[in-house]
Amino acid sequence: MAYLMIVDDDEDFTSALTTTLRAAGYEVEVECDPAAAMEKMEARTPDLAILDVMFPEDASAGFALARSLRQRNDALRNIPILMLTAVNAKFPLGFGVHDIDEGWLPVSDFLEKPVDLRLLPQRIEALLSK
Amino acid sequence: MAESGPADMACYVLPLACPVGAGGAATGPGGAGPGGAGEPQEEFPPKAMLLGHARWFCRIRWVVIAALLLFGLVGRSPEAMAWLHLRLPGLWPLVTAGVLTLGNAFFRARLGSSARPAGSRAVLGNLWGQIVVDLLVLAVVVHFIGSTETYVAFVYLFHIVLACVVLSRGQSLLVTMLAIVLYGGCVLAEQRGLIAAQTVFAAPPPAQAGAAGTDRVALNTLSAMALWLAAWHLTSRLCQLVRRRDIELARTNRRLLAAQAERARHMLATTHQLRSPFAAIAANAQVLREGYCGELPQAVVPVVDRIIARCHRLAGEIQEMLQLANLNSIGGRDQPVVRVDLAEVLRWCLERVEALAQGRAVTISADIEPAEVMGVQDHLKMLLFNVIHNAATYSHEGGLVRVTCRPQPPGGACVTVADGGIGIAEAKLPHIFDEHYRTVEAMRHQRESSGLGLAIVRDVARLHRIGVSVASRLGAGTTVELRFPVIARQGDNVRLQ
Repeated sequence: MAYLMIVDDDEDFTSALTTTLRAAGYEVEVECDPAAAMEKMEARTPDLAILDVMFPEDASAGFALARSLRQRNDALRNIPILMLTAVNAKFPLGFGVHDIDEGWLPVSDFLEKPVDLRLLPQRIEALLSK
Repeated sequence: MAESGPADMACYVLPLACPVGAGGAATGPGGAGPGGAGEPQEEFPPKAMLLGHARWFCRIRWVVIAALLLFGLVGRSPEAMAWLHLRLPGLWPLVTAGVLTLGNAFFRARLGSSARPAGSRAVLGNLWGQIVVDLLVLAVVVHFIGSTETYVAFVYLFHIVLACVVLSRGQSLLVTMLAIVLYGGCVLAEQRGLIAAQTVFAAPPPAQAGAAGTDRVALNTLSAMALWLAAWHLTSRLCQLVRRRDIELARTNRRLLAAQAERARHMLATTHQLRSPFAAIAANAQVLREGYCGELPQAVVPVVDRIIARCHRLAGEIQEMLQLANLNSIGGRDQPVVRVDLAEVLRWCLERVEALAQGRAVTISADIEPAEVMGVQDHLKMLLFNVIHNAATYSHEGGLVRVTCRPQPPGGACVTVADGGIGIAEAKLPHIFDEHYRTVEAMRHQRESSGLGLAIVRDVARLHRIGVSVASRLGAGTTVELRFPVIARQGDNVRLQ
């Protein structure tokens, strides 16, 4: 059973996400604070991390978390990262899947909210099988 | 701003002045006014400007040196000087040219290179050094050419005017006074016989009648000085007014940039805050819809589907509204204009529309040639995406959308997007680019649309001067032709209108 770490501060959203992913057979843990999530991931490496971008204390904490994951030990550096966010276009301010690069946005895949939860397990499986 | 308060409690005092560019509106009830506590004080003259002036002075001085050298060399030829009715000048032009050459090389070297320029104080000191050396050399030149017999003393005016332009009013007055002292000292020394009066003219000066002659010289000298002071007053006043306006403009520009940055941050937060609740509602509705909370009654399923669809639609509308607002903002127009390959943008758009087209069994046929245009890449993506998305949306099921892209010599491009869909009645065509306008036929065909897509197309087209023509017949389909203007030459300063 793959172990997924969800880092998102929107409890309503993560509750639905957790229900769907647990029903799909994943072990899911949710953390709303990026710093605490990093500690948890260092203690137990997830098979995949699902990150939001904007957090109340830092509008780009999700980016920072993705970048710091890529600079950690080998286990964390190589985990697939799926980024979910409500800001979905480079213009005016956000970004898109075409902006993924190792330096600026080091994630494996990107989905914009609202997410079609029926498609989510397929995307996760695709990332896990890489 | 954190302070230690009673019983070791952390204390924070809210700063009432709103720092420019550091959150909060740049102006407002709590914001600092012009020159207020929150505004950085302008350094005058600004270092970059001062450095530019100092370097320019060095360049101009080479011209003066060349003129002195030429005069000195011509002055070695008695025939040439006799032909010009001038006296042989001796060595003073060559000596002054030599002194200026050494000084100029020294000052230019001290200004540093472009990569490593000198500091502000060093540049100001350098500029003052140049001015003092110039005035001293000019005093020598004025003496030898003829301090009272020629108009050469008016060369001091150039220095006074330049000082007014590049220095503050007080500093330029100092330069003026220095010029007056040097010129006055020269004339006085000549009149008192401390140094012999000189002239460049071959013919001797007309004899002056003793005291009357001296009075006339004094009157002329004082008149020249008075003229310099008047020139200083008028020029420095004018320069001061222009400078104040410059500073005010620079300050306004900084505020504008800060407001733009603040607005961008606000937009980001707004997008997130508005879309996130819909994402959560949609996700929870999907949990219900998928039966994770128990099987739903049949009558409830379409209701939940409508909730999900409406959430997606609202999230999309929010995005489009923000895009439209940004296109019309100064910040939106200030995006980097770059060389863009339309073929690449079209392929990106087609990938994005693929899912929609497949869902409606619409085939998209693409005949795309590379075509480079100048523009803001994200703007062009929005424009082409909306046009192709519309074509796929308003096609009938199983329909065909044809996308072509051709370069147009000598540098433009033409993109056409044609569908065989529901079409638009002729009378309605002039309105399709209005915000939130939707034809009844479009509403019947596809309810889920904000009516903002073509408004975005309109604004991007206007910004980029892209010609848009729409040919349509109700029930037969629509063809949109986009004519991109001729590409600017490399190095042209391309800005959005």
